[in-house]
Amino acid sequence: MNQSGAESFLGLCLSSLSISVEGLPRTTVISTGQHILIEGEDEDNPYVARVIRLFGDESGKQKKAVVQWFVRVSEVPPSKLKLLGREPHPQEIFYYQGRSCDDEVNAESILRPVQVIVGPLGVQTDLTALCQTSTTHTVTSAEAGLDSDDEVVMKKSRHAAAGSRTPRSKQKSRSSTRTPRKTPNKKVKVQTDAFLRWSAPVVSEISLPVSSLCEQVAPGTPRTPRHATPSIPSRSLPARQPANVLEEARTRLHVSSVPESLPCREQEFQDIYSFVESKIIDGTGGCMYISGVPGTGKTATVHEVMRCLQHAADVDEIPPFHFIEINGMKMTDPHQAYVQILQKLTGQKATADHAAALLEKRFSNAAPRKESTVLLVDELDLLWTRKQNVMYNLFDWPTRRHARLVVLTIANTMDLPERIMINRVASRLGLTRMSFQPYSFKQLQQIITSRLNKVKAFEEDALQLVSRKVAALSGDARRCLDICRRATEICEHSSADPSATGLVGMSHVMEALNEMFSSAYITAIKCASLQEQLFLRAVIAEFRRLGLEEATFQQVFVQHQALCRVEGLQPISVSEGLAVCQRLGACRLLLLEPSRLGVLQRIRLNVSQDDVLYALKAD
Amino acid sequence: MSKRKGKDAHLPVGECITLVQQILRERLCHQQLPDKPDGIEAQHKHLLELLKRTAVHGESNSVLIVGPRGAGKTMLLKCVLRDLLEEKEAQKNLLQVHLNGLLQTDDRIALKEITRQLHLENVVGDKVFGSFAENLAFLLEALKKGDRSSSRPVLFVLDEFDLFAHHKNQTLLYNLFDVSQSAQAPIAVVGVTCRLDVLELLEKRVKSRFSHRQIHLLSNLTFTEYLERVQTQLCLPDDFPDSKFAQDWNDSIQTLCEDKSVEEVLQRHFNSSKDFRSMHMLLMLCLSRVSVAKPAIKPADLLEASRLCFADAKANMLHGLSILELCLIIAMKHLNDVYEGEPFNLQMVHNEFKKFLQRKSNSMYNFDQPVIMKVCINMKPLSKFFLPFNSFPATRFLESNTLYCFRCSSAMIGRITVNIYIFCMKTDKFNIFPSKPITYTSCFSSPSGLRAPAAAGADPTG
Repeated sequence: MNQSGAESFLGLCLSSLSISVEGLPRTTVISTGQHILIEGEDEDNPYVARVIRLFGDESGKQKKAVVQWFVRVSEVPPSKLKLLGREPHPQEIFYYQGRSCDDEVNAESILRPVQVIVGPLGVQTDLTALCQTSTTHTVTSAEAGLDSDDEVVMKKSRHAAAGSRTPRSKQKSRSSTRTPRKTPNKKVKVQTDAFLRWSAPVVSEISLPVSSLCEQVAPGTPRTPRHATPSIPSRSLPARQPANVLEEARTRLHVSSVPESLPCREQEFQDIYSFVESKIIDGTGGCMYISGVPGTGKTATVHEVMRCLQHAADVDEIPPFHFIEINGMKMTDPHQAYVQILQKLTGQKATADHAAALLEKRFSNAAPRKESTVLLVDELDLLWTRKQNVMYNLFDWPTRRHARLVVLTIANTMDLPERIMINRVASRLGLTRMSFQPYSFKQLQQIITSRLNKVKAFEEDALQLVSRKVAALSGDARRCLDICRRATEICEHSSADPSATGLVGMSHVMEALNEMFSSAYITAIKCASLQEQLFLRAVIAEFRRLGLEEATFQQVFVQHQALCRVEGLQPISVSEGLAVCQRLGACRLLLLEPSRLGVLQRIRLNVSQDDVLYALKAD
Repeated sequence: MSKRKGKDAHLPVGECITLVQQILRERLCHQQLPDKPDGIEAQHKHLLELLKRTAVHGESNSVLIVGPRGAGKTMLLKCVLRDLLEEKEAQKNLLQVHLNGLLQTDDRIALKEITRQLHLENVVGDKVFGSFAENLAFLLEALKKGDRSSSRPVLFVLDEFDLFAHHKNQTLLYNLFDVSQSAQAPIAVVGVTCRLDVLELLEKRVKSRFSHRQIHLLSNLTFTEYLERVQTQLCLPDDFPDSKFAQDWNDSIQTLCEDKSVEEVLQRHFNSSKDFRSMHMLLMLCLSRVSVAKPAIKPADLLEASRLCFADAKANMLHGLSILELCLIIAMKHLNDVYEGEPFNLQMVHNEFKKFLQRKSNSMYNFDQPVIMKVCINMKPLSKFFLPFNSFPATRFLESNTLYCFRCSSAMIGRITVNIYIFCMKTDKFNIFPSKPITYTSCFSSPSGLRAPAAAGADPTG
């Protein structure tokens, strides 16, 4: 736009322009304010426009015109046509306000002038419009904001393709240099062959504000809102604050609550902090690999480090830096990593390939006053691709001279680099590794205590029991916090008077532990119906007979029938037996083959035989 | 007729019956929620408290409801939601998203559905825009922007939860659980599943983010409770317009439940399954036999309904088979026993059939090979009994006379042989079609059908 503006400024302004119209001997003179037809893709329906200004460029050879476009009825989207509130005349044209079309045209592309009759409601009728050809069009002008902003954006993307479209053959023969720059979305269609003049011009002016148009149009022409701002609506009533000690404790124990400090990870914190800090100060790049089982505070520690560094940068202790974070689980495809990094770095949106190219450029080229970037890649193992190019790039960029990129990667397995990475990737990742050990029971206890922060809700023994139990099983801090949270609930319910709840004791914690760690298989067997229990018995009997851990339904069913007779029950039919078997299979007490095999499907137990016998004996 | 005195008015019997049908059908088929959950009060309270904390305090939670099919998992959840939404504070705030593993078969569809149900901005009309990646980023961004105290809490209900665990990388579950464990918009994730081993399906990083709360619905129902439940399901409510009719109906239900034969039938059902859905099925069959002429449920109705429920689908397929077809099936059964489940071919079946004819040549016409083959092809819809090994097209099958293999399921055929044996004794004629359906009495009187073909051949005329 700028360029064309400059061009027109330099160019020589013309008051009129003469062109030769096909099929007519004379030349036609076009002047400012006149309506003209401009050739487009559709030979029968050229575009309609009004000349605003005529000018020639510096050399004076190329003559151009600045025009105001009009659109034809057939061009207007049906949904917007509805807003007109009446049946438009097929010859009617509308004022076009969109800015997606270049309003500068070459003189060669002008076909001929055309007469536009403006209706009674519109601007004054302009019948004096020059009409040197016999072609007369009845057109009415009406103003309608046809393009909302988002539409313009969408059209732009199609622009490039449109530009390469071959103009019609006639144009080519006349001038090969001509470049009709109109976009195809302005397919204005007026029938040029109609030599008509409407005696009673059908005219009206629509003047609806653009915004209201957009709103009303939206359901009809669905498209993604351009600036969709994702958010969950706000609540109408404020969230209630914790009322008593147990509720307070529960809030503090929720995994999501951010603690003031991260106890038990001081060493790791220090290591990561100094690693990143030194890289930022030196303006160099580097990689670090952090591993550890889930729930050992890897991501939390890195976040804590970043918070501290950000604070340090704010008080000018270290140079400022960018921190961006991606998570392998939060993307649909490894290549989306590029897109997300680019978006978080610059706010640009691009396809994966394009984003990769842009990032490549960004990290390889020197730029003045470039800030360091710290990139956290969580769940690294999900960025694995067959060629491993995503991982390769992530670890290669920090080695570039001008990149100033620090990459921190997190994954669950310690030997991930050796297991899944090819040599050139593993070598670029380097040997800066760190592994987070599962928490010991003392550490877990300390974590809970620090979270509770002097809120007295738990007995000491109860805390110790939880932490010992969790440490023995997984060392997962999340589990520990969840159990404690559940224990506070149990405590709250068990006390008769909710206002006078005591401390969370051993019994409450035991109950919570049982709920979370005990398997439901035994209860499920105890609660199964009689026939289901008999069937399980039959399965075990058949396994013993065969000496195998697998039998077909047919074999088990024979045993089942025998057991029924022993128990004095009426034997069940095959269909019923199959139904019983399927029910047990749905709970995964049994493992079954697909049911289409009918009586030939093989059966296995999904629980140990001892468990089944124990559960059946108990009642 | 004209003077209706409100509650005590006597309606015509027809009208009453229509009303009864309507009320009970609502209960049995439309899964009308009970006023209070029977037998699962503890679970109800637990879940209600949990969801209330999300709705009112903005605390994120995740929980799984586990129990066998028909145990009332969805009923529990619906009851809890009904009770929760009675509270104004919860009703105004809570947003709900319901997903089903059978409908949302992958994360892409699930994400679109979530965005649609939440009415986020990239939804216009009911359509969701953007690619899978954009949708995910959009949704996560939306949830991340919220915080505990200011955003509306969102309840995610994942029906058939185990199927979501089969999605690629478990992206959806990871993200939902991750949101529930971080300081973002408050959400509650409720999974409903019938698999007891569902936690083993989760990847360890997903599992770590799940709170490990499980609500087990394993009913410890006794038979008396079962009986009571049947009774309450059939009883009419107090606000029935015609109180006299309601009284009579409830009395008849009372006597019905005390009947010995009814108790026996119900005991049999109870033994087979404690599932409420199958009980409703049984009661529904009874209810459909109630008419103006017979305005009560009789024990006979229940017996008949039970007979229908327990009908063996596969044995039913044998009704109306011609004698030749039955003979062939018996021959196959015999071969199956001889070869212990190994496949055999049509020639062998034919030979077996001929052997049978030699013993009883006067009773049946010796059909030619093509006829036998044709019969076998026609029996293909019955392939529940035998699995075609290599199903050739019919033309080739006719040319190559020995390649069609069958596998019989002997448990089935065991019963057939017994039945045909009885049938043969009754009619004493082999070359006619059975004029009435074979009655399956004393199905299990004979322990196995091993010697049945021979017996069938030897006995009938004797």
